[in-house]
Amino acid sequence: MGADFTQQIRDKAKELLEKGTVECVIGYETGSDGVSARPAFIHDPAEVDRLVFDNTCSHNLVKYLLNKKGKPTAVVVKGCDSRAVNLLLSEKQIERNQAFIIGVVCPSVVEWGWNKRSEQIQKRCDWCRQHTPVVYDFLVGEPVTEEPPPDFADVAEMEAKTTEERAAFWREQAERCLRCYACRQACPGCYCIDCFVEELDPEWVGIRIAPQENLMWNTIRAFHLGGRCISCNECERVCPVNIPLSLLNRKLEQEVLSLFDYRAGMSDDTIAPLITFRKDDKLGIGE
Amino acid sequence: MVKEATEKVIPNPFVPYPATLKSVIDLTPDVKLFTLELDRGEDEFDYKPGQFAFVSAFGVGECPLGLTSAAHRKEGLQFAVRRVGSVTNALHQLEPGAKTGVRGPFGNFFPVDDYNGKNIIIIGGGIGFAPLRPVINTILDNRDGYADILILNGARTPQDLCFAAEFDDWAKSPRTKLELTVDAGDENWNGRVALIPDVVAELEPSPKDAIAIICGPPIMIRFTLTKLKQLGFANEQIVTTLEGKMKCGLGKCFRCNVGDKYVCRDGPVFTFEQISQFIEQF
Amino acid sequence: MTKILGKKELESWLSSIMKDRTLVAPKHVDDLTLFSPVQSVEEIAFNYENTNLSPKELFFPRTDTLFTVERKDSEMEITPAVIEQETVIFGIRPCDAWGIATLDGPYLDDPADSLWAQHRAKTTMIGLACTKPAPQCFCTSMGSAPNDSSNVDILLTEVDEGYAVETVTAKGERLLQGVELKESDVKPSVPSCDTDVPAEGIVEATQKVFDDPYWSRLADRCIHCNICAYVCPTCYCFDVRDRTDRGKIERIRTWESCQSKGFTRIAGGYDPRADKGTRLRQRFCHKLLYFPQQFGPLGCVGCGRCVTACPVNIDIREIISDLQELGAKVGQGSN
Repeated sequence: MGADFTQQIRDKAKELLEKGTVECVIGYETGSDGVSARPAFIHDPAEVDRLVFDNTCSHNLVKYLLNKKGKPTAVVVKGCDSRAVNLLLSEKQIERNQAFIIGVVCPSVVEWGWNKRSEQIQKRCDWCRQHTPVVYDFLVGEPVTEEPPPDFADVAEMEAKTTEERAAFWREQAERCLRCYACRQACPGCYCIDCFVEELDPEWVGIRIAPQENLMWNTIRAFHLGGRCISCNECERVCPVNIPLSLLNRKLEQEVLSLFDYRAGMSDDTIAPLITFRKDDKLGIGE
Repeated sequence: MVKEATEKVIPNPFVPYPATLKSVIDLTPDVKLFTLELDRGEDEFDYKPGQFAFVSAFGVGECPLGLTSAAHRKEGLQFAVRRVGSVTNALHQLEPGAKTGVRGPFGNFFPVDDYNGKNIIIIGGGIGFAPLRPVINTILDNRDGYADILILNGARTPQDLCFAAEFDDWAKSPRTKLELTVDAGDENWNGRVALIPDVVAELEPSPKDAIAIICGPPIMIRFTLTKLKQLGFANEQIVTTLEGKMKCGLGKCFRCNVGDKYVCRDGPVFTFEQISQFIEQF
Repeated sequence: MTKILGKKELESWLSSIMKDRTLVAPKHVDDLTLFSPVQSVEEIAFNYENTNLSPKELFFPRTDTLFTVERKDSEMEITPAVIEQETVIFGIRPCDAWGIATLDGPYLDDPADSLWAQHRAKTTMIGLACTKPAPQCFCTSMGSAPNDSSNVDILLTEVDEGYAVETVTAKGERLLQGVELKESDVKPSVPSCDTDVPAEGIVEATQKVFDDPYWSRLADRCIHCNICAYVCPTCYCFDVRDRTDRGKIERIRTWESCQSKGFTRIAGGYDPRADKGTRLRQRFCHKLLYFPQQFGPLGCVGCGRCVTACPVNIDIREIISDLQELGAKVGQGSN
């Protein structure tokens, strides 16, 4: 990891830009705190030394490909991010031949904030069974063998609470929500031109920033991601008021796994179960 | 009725004057002419051509609409409402007698007094003609104050021409020419079929002692402006009224700005000389 | 001589304020520190650099009712919102108080915003000078200081014996009535906020750099959420819409940000700022160019919240520095 990954990415970026294979390399660079990473857009081969890779590189850069339609672009992806590539390919949002995927075998990312870098591994990395990217044109690092499937202990812990406890918990979270939509903006699965929450005619949710509407916002968004969420957990990372959004997404992930034996983004030609129907679908009723 | 504001409480500038919808006339398939009357005499306000007001569809919201009536004619507050969004959609469902609200007047105005003695050229496309109608009616009601008048009203199709009921009055005013044009005619249309900028090039209005007032979709304005400049019109001689997404009309929501200028307060009426000086160019 | 309020006396004073007014103070909520109404002194957080969200919320709530409309027979009864409750804010930092005063510019500009004016009239601010500027702070560069008392009613500064008290306004004096203050010759001091951000001449620099492709490049990584505007003490854009609840109609106002896609899109579809670069430029030109041109002060107080909260590290301090650098090159024939 560390210096070696950084150098490999820089070398590859330089090659791609010099040859004209891509117009832009989307990677990471060190942020203004000198401690944590931020997304970087390199257009000039002379600037590839801005690129770094370290364990604060938690941003999912795949979403930026949607701003680069029609332009050949390289993007640095970790394991979780690579599933987002497949998601967008299967939903026909990006063209495979317009994207050069620089896959990185993820060392796990740590809890970090601006000017704060801990050694605590993020919980999404504990859940992760995909440290090796599932799609790439160039691989940095050696593929790793994965451990047994996740057990959703976080979901079980929430479900062990009584209805009243859960209601109180989510009401408190909903009170904090600002409707900043950072969760949506950071999510590669959220790319609707007009989000349901901005629809005024009919008005599904309403603009009021209050618990009732906020809960609608967060739960419906989670449903729209049911079977599509690739567990990068960026939504929770970017939330300015620390709402544990992963709980909603993980619950639905668990449901989809048990009903349809399906994980999002593992290949580029499968469609999420909640937006398709097969005669052999298990519906969980009367069985 | 509105609760009386106490001395200590500053009046809430978001509160509209209660108003009643008096009549609705279909102007085109998607434009209706609304005539509103304020419920309380003390709310009556004077306004000039070019100014706008916010009209409420209670339960949905309010939207800024150009005042299309001329205040001195005392014909009520008239708005040409095109059904294009959630508020205008709600307004289109209203019938005479319905209760609405009005906040206004907002913005600056066409300084028609400054145009005294000049030749006036008025060019409007589609619903863009709505803010030009009070300019025309104010000028025609003071006909001797102005020289020659050319009115060019264009639309996509003959059904989309606004204010057809007034065309005869305008056309028969002395030294006044009314030219109509459509992008596409129909079997009943015997008139001109041409884009507005091309009609301007054909009519060749002279820039001498002239003011050109244009309003319509951005693309129509852009090409018409080019033609007028080719004919020798200077930027100060060409006036338009801008649109912007607005939520307050008070210079507070900071949504309608073009650079440091608010369309709701510094505009909506601007000369092209002013627009060319804007730091932000749209 | 310095007037001193002991810690115990502060606590009993705050407890007495709570009896007939809403006392809002910083409170630890999980990992966050947020201004919240408190019912006991124990709830107050005293050990914090600054809150995660700014106290502008207490004057400009994230969601607010402008007026209600009810159908009574054939009439519409419109009732404007009235703020009746008195509020005291304890623990507001000088930068945030500067932010509130800055927003008086647009909000009290004729016609004044009634709700803002009412909140201002009904709120007393007890400021708390900073003991330790955070790494993201740069208030001094923007015209304030860790112990700037100009925009609060009372300023407290921590000293060994408790708090040094500076009474700034008549409102502050009224709040302190009956409170026993000791006299001391201790001189309160605060650490300086050393981060130097080159804000001098930023208005001219921003104007010069308006058309530079810098904004487009910077916007590449911006995800156009609303975080920066919502945590900011001086962002004030809003949305207005009606809401119907069981027959009663409310016209509500909520926070909104110029960064969101569709902020300037008019019904019918035309959007003058569809491009990401123009939207990002709008926010910084509002703060560093248009706002000072219209009202005088810069639209940034140096609290640093946007710096810590931005998911992709769009850093206004970096931007100010970049604009100065680019601005200096304009007119030198090199670009």
